[in-house]
Amino acid sequence: MRNSRRLALGASLLASLAIAGVAGGGALVSAQDQPTVRIGSDGFYESQLMAEMYAQALEANGFEVERQLGIGARPARVEAFESGQIDLTPEYVGSGLGFYVVGSEDEELAAIEVSGDGETNRVNLQAALDVAGVGATVLAITAGEDTNAAVVRADTAEELGVSSISDLAGVADQVTFGLPPECEVNALCRGALEDGYGIAWPPAQLELLPPCGAEMAGALEGNAIDVAWLCSTQPVIAQNGWVVLEDDLDTQPAENLAPIVRNDFLEGVDGGADAIAAILDPISAAVTTDVLTELGVRIAVDQESIDDVAGEFLASLES
Amino acid sequence: MEQLLEFFTDPASWSGDTGIPNRLIEHLAIAFLAVLTASAIALPLGFYIGHTGRLQMLGINIANIGRAVPSYAMMVMLLPVMLGLAPVLGYDPRLGLRFLPIFLAMVLLAIPPILVAAYAGIQEVDRDLTESSRGMGLTERQILTGVELPLALPVLVGGFRVALLQVIATATIGAYLAGGGLGRYIIDGIARRDDGMLYGGVVLVAVLAIGTDVLLSWLQRRLTPRGVRIATELETERAGAAAP
Repeated sequence: MRNSRRLALGASLLASLAIAGVAGGGALVSAQDQPTVRIGSDGFYESQLMAEMYAQALEANGFEVERQLGIGARPARVEAFESGQIDLTPEYVGSGLGFYVVGSEDEELAAIEVSGDGETNRVNLQAALDVAGVGATVLAITAGEDTNAAVVRADTAEELGVSSISDLAGVADQVTFGLPPECEVNALCRGALEDGYGIAWPPAQLELLPPCGAEMAGALEGNAIDVAWLCSTQPVIAQNGWVVLEDDLDTQPAENLAPIVRNDFLEGVDGGADAIAAILDPISAAVTTDVLTELGVRIAVDQESIDDVAGEFLASLES
Repeated sequence: MEQLLEFFTDPASWSGDTGIPNRLIEHLAIAFLAVLTASAIALPLGFYIGHTGRLQMLGINIANIGRAVPSYAMMVMLLPVMLGLAPVLGYDPRLGLRFLPIFLAMVLLAIPPILVAAYAGIQEVDRDLTESSRGMGLTERQILTGVELPLALPVLVGGFRVALLQVIATATIGAYLAGGGLGRYIIDGIARRDDGMLYGGVVLVAVLAIGTDVLLSWLQRRLTPRGVRIATELETERAGAAAP
């Protein structure tokens, strides 16, 4: 166990060196020149996985890394980021943007749109952070994405004849919803369901469960809930033959992942934002939707450790 | 502080399913049910061990293992089992989500302190007393109910006190698994970054725990047999006088 871990770490070290060498050229610097980077993430596995990849890649390039993975849901993590308790965090560009702009009282922020295109959302998220006065830089987005998805069991879809969230709105009082606790204050969750699809809030039958987690999936599988708010890359969806309801009103934005980094931290980095980008961009480029799903299976289903999975993925980039 | 005030003065905090009265009832219901169920298991076993002195190792081991099992892990492990048993045993699967895993984890949490209090309380009764009772012709059952139990009562209530306090405090994490109770305010408050709700929940749980403790410590004193109380007071006085 210990050996395999060390091996994985060593491999990832090599891999990251190689990536940095190829992509950045000047990114290799001696350890003592680089500041400690504090990396934070959301509570569920995918956010932790991306954060762990960033952490191992940065460690391989001479950064000291302090991990604060699994902080919680976005509102808590964003506050930790804005207050400077963490320097770097993976963010879903769509929801991250929505957090700042949807329903904002600031006219300038409210004017920024959340779109169905990941790169547009990245650019807009950068703009929103600037307007909101958060000194931070959004780096390149992942090739793949993971969106929020309303998921039902196949038998529910058949019995109630639902294939889209609009269909679901018609039978909303006959089903039990499973939603994350922060949905209530999330414009892309409650806002989409209530204002977009006209589903009365709160739903008559509602269970609050952690987002994108095994608990929510287990509850759907065990018939305790009928509609689960899951992440589209969650492996259980395909495994159980569940039906992802079509978001026919396009309420859910494109959700590619991008590292966001505090500018005050970047100022202390030898080489600045370019040095960090040279290390992390190749990772983002390699993370496709298939990769997110596949690595998700290894963590959520096969119970492999996030450390190992992240390390081996980084090592695989080398070849 | 302001947000906390806002939480407590908002009429919405006091009405409906998500209101404080309903959450309090949910919390107390699971706590009392868990402690009652744990008592039904732990008391007979504890009395048996205490009275006969047999199976002591078993009692100690159950108590120690029980204390070492983390409640949250227990809940997560029980979740798929309870959901899976729903169609087999025919109960509502929602019970398997929001009640049974939390309830059972709380029962397991409550057993060790009650078990230990039951056998330690009985065991600590002066052997001379039980021997002379036996000499007076009392049956074993009469010795247990007439002599040992009354004398062990304060210790026993102490066990309930610990069990109930632990359960009240720990039942809050049930909110991770869609559970009700006051923990909802803490979990939802963190997720929504609603500090008023978060600290409101913390204050409510703390007040409930302290209130329960005060009530039970009063009960503990009331239930101490008069003779024992006087003897204890005399001893304390003597100890006090002896101190320089």
